[in-house]
Amino acid sequence: MSFEWLMLLLGWVSAALFVTVSAFKMYKVATSPLNLRWEVYPVPHEEGERRHYGGSYMEEVDWAKKPRADSLVAEFVEMGTEIFLLQRVRRYNPYGIWLLSMAMHWGLYLGVGLLGLLVVENLVAIAALAMLTNIVGVVACALGTIGALGLAHKRAVDRNLNLYTAPIDYFNLLLIAAIFVLGLASWAAAGSFAGHKAYIGSVLTFKPTTVPLLVSLTFLVFELFVIYMPFSKLIHYFAKYFTYHSQLWDDAFKTKGSPTDKKITEQLAYPAAWSAPHIVPGKSWLEQAQNTNIESEKK
Amino acid sequence: MSEPKIIRFKDMARAGDEPLVTLQRDDLMALPAPTDEPSLESPKARWREAYDFSLDGYSDFDIPKPKTREEEERLVRSFLSGLEKLFDPQSNWPFVKILKLSMDYCVRCQTCSEECHVYLGSGRQEIYRPTYRSEILRRIYQRYFTPSGKLLRSFVGADIELNYKTVWRLLELSYRCNICRRCAQVCPVGVDNALIAREIRKLFSQEMGIAAKELLKKGTRQQLQVGSSTGMNPAGLKDIVEIEEDLIYEKTGKKIKIPVDQKGADILLIHNAGEFMSWPENPAAFAILFDAAGISWTLSSDLVGYDAVNYGVWFDDVELARIALRHVTIAKELGVKKIVVGECGHAHKAICVVADRVLPSDLSLSEVPRESCLPLLWEIAKSGVVQFDPARNDFPVTLHDPCNIVRLMGIVQPQREIVKRVCQQPLRELSPNGVRNYCCGGGSGFAIMDTLNFAQWRKAVSNRTKVKQILDVFQDVLEPGINKYVTAPCSNCKGALRDAIDYYGLWDKYHIAYGGLVDLMVNAMADLPQPYIDFKEET
Repeated sequence: MSFEWLMLLLGWVSAALFVTVSAFKMYKVATSPLNLRWEVYPVPHEEGERRHYGGSYMEEVDWAKKPRADSLVAEFVEMGTEIFLLQRVRRYNPYGIWLLSMAMHWGLYLGVGLLGLLVVENLVAIAALAMLTNIVGVVACALGTIGALGLAHKRAVDRNLNLYTAPIDYFNLLLIAAIFVLGLASWAAAGSFAGHKAYIGSVLTFKPTTVPLLVSLTFLVFELFVIYMPFSKLIHYFAKYFTYHSQLWDDAFKTKGSPTDKKITEQLAYPAAWSAPHIVPGKSWLEQAQNTNIESEKK
Repeated sequence: MSEPKIIRFKDMARAGDEPLVTLQRDDLMALPAPTDEPSLESPKARWREAYDFSLDGYSDFDIPKPKTREEEERLVRSFLSGLEKLFDPQSNWPFVKILKLSMDYCVRCQTCSEECHVYLGSGRQEIYRPTYRSEILRRIYQRYFTPSGKLLRSFVGADIELNYKTVWRLLELSYRCNICRRCAQVCPVGVDNALIAREIRKLFSQEMGIAAKELLKKGTRQQLQVGSSTGMNPAGLKDIVEIEEDLIYEKTGKKIKIPVDQKGADILLIHNAGEFMSWPENPAAFAILFDAAGISWTLSSDLVGYDAVNYGVWFDDVELARIALRHVTIAKELGVKKIVVGECGHAHKAICVVADRVLPSDLSLSEVPRESCLPLLWEIAKSGVVQFDPARNDFPVTLHDPCNIVRLMGIVQPQREIVKRVCQQPLRELSPNGVRNYCCGGGSGFAIMDTLNFAQWRKAVSNRTKVKQILDVFQDVLEPGINKYVTAPCSNCKGALRDAIDYYGLWDKYHIAYGGLVDLMVNAMADLPQPYIDFKEET
């Protein structure tokens, strides 16, 4: 099998693995047991002023009997500012990583945009698109390079970060940097992303094509990264959906007969298989909760 | 002040009794005004002989050190068995999802570090970073339970040695976090390092039976068996109620009969039973106010029903469920319309929020509503049924926000509105405040933990940031001729403030006192013959 065929197949295989493994991981988290309420305020879907000062429906008397008007839009706005502006890092991180982190994340976002543009260029012939592709691609690669290398350097020299940085963290950053450096180099060698467009076209049409070596290398590293990503903590963006929605912002109280109630009833029947003296062996969670006279039960 | 030492993770396994860190007073966070803070003392020689102080020279655990290698190995095996259960979907269904997400996706950006009052108070000692204990647990978990950790070891950071010392120091570290969750509030990924601290405590408690004895043996166990973590039994409650009625008469001239076990009352009021013992004027103030407002309410004298505390919320899901189940069952049997929790922060969060999903269907929140006392108190204040004269509270007042009520339940405004309504001077807000507040330093059980020398660590380190805030907020009125009041609607916060005021000499030097919110309301009641708050008593 030729190198061109291998590259073509790798394009599809990497995409398929990325989607499959990511979906499987999301499915595993989504179907894991419903956790106890453990929210932290501010919760952005709260009404009006409350969402700003961190208030909740529990500020009222008889709240269990009152209707609520949650705002999903506010949740998306909060999530959006977090994803695109890294608000919490900007506001609270004291170690000067916000700009570098923004550069790397925007490098990745624009990198995805570049891929999209290369696909569109293969589908429709619009001359102006090549110019846009050039701008988006160069900016993405430049930001990604600066961000990933800058963060790796920061982790190496800042004592507050260094201790917590394992070799794999450098590996991740350098792998990201490698994609962007190769992207820049392959663009610089040709003065355009024409070779990249040709490669994407070959993948889309299933027709192997020869592209410059640097372009092949760029996609080789990128596709290996795409395969690796769902196995690593680099997919924290999906974890974030669950940490925010299932934990930090999950303020729904239980009503009798609701889906939550049914799920909890099911989970209360799980065995509480712990070994401490105050846990009764062989009992379910509900039976444990109903049993406060531990000693007689154990005898 | 010297730069804090870097304590590498491999140091956790270091043999010997030498602590990884030795704290000195001058290394701790500087305070903005002189105090009477004493120097830090080393643990007594006889303690060092018998118990393990090898984390930082402090401990609440009077558990003898293992004497043989076999004992040490048994402890490690038991720890690993518990760790496996911690990640099992059935054994740890209450928190496995968010624990696993926090374990797997922390990007180690350290955004949370500067949010932690313990880390700040300690002068930024490495071992107190919110991420430090999490990283140790993560590395052990990776090494023993993940394919990448087993295969790649040091490349993925899974190279920590697991021996008795690592296990013991991790136990101690789980009790160096107040679980205030300020760190979780700012995490860009939503990782919850405070939850990880709690899960470590849970592993030790539910698998090994090891927990701070004030929380398990003298806490939840005693509460479930005797009726209260204070040791008060149902007969004792009835005696206390009489004492409360006498106190009310003595302070107000009012003869009020405190209702107990009144079936069909609208409200079952549950106080932290520690209030009856340490601050009896607080339950008395509730009785005065509810009587004046014409509220239909009752206390319970049933086992557990008169003590709102639920220490399980800090360390043990099974104990959490048992106590919550008792509370709600008692309310249902009394036929009340709802439970109202008195001024106790963790009891608020336990019964109104966390325990909701460990209770069976019939005890859901929709069936037996549970609420904070604060919105009700604000309703009373603004209703006009009770007349308040703010001039009776003509002294500088600041408001401490209990984490469990504010950051973790979103009850922020009612208490502020009450202070504004019943006080003469403008409310002095601590900085930061509301949902961004700092913990008092007594959270997650620290306020009641005083075995060995743990209390000294709490006062010097975890209380410190709150003391700084209080000194800052009163900086223009620090002279002792002016009485100042820190109001804290939470028993554990009051316990922590009481000890901090004593330790730093804040009453003697600056006349800073503390007390509950309802006390402040009753102090402003226009028809009382004399002030309800006695500043000397408050200290």
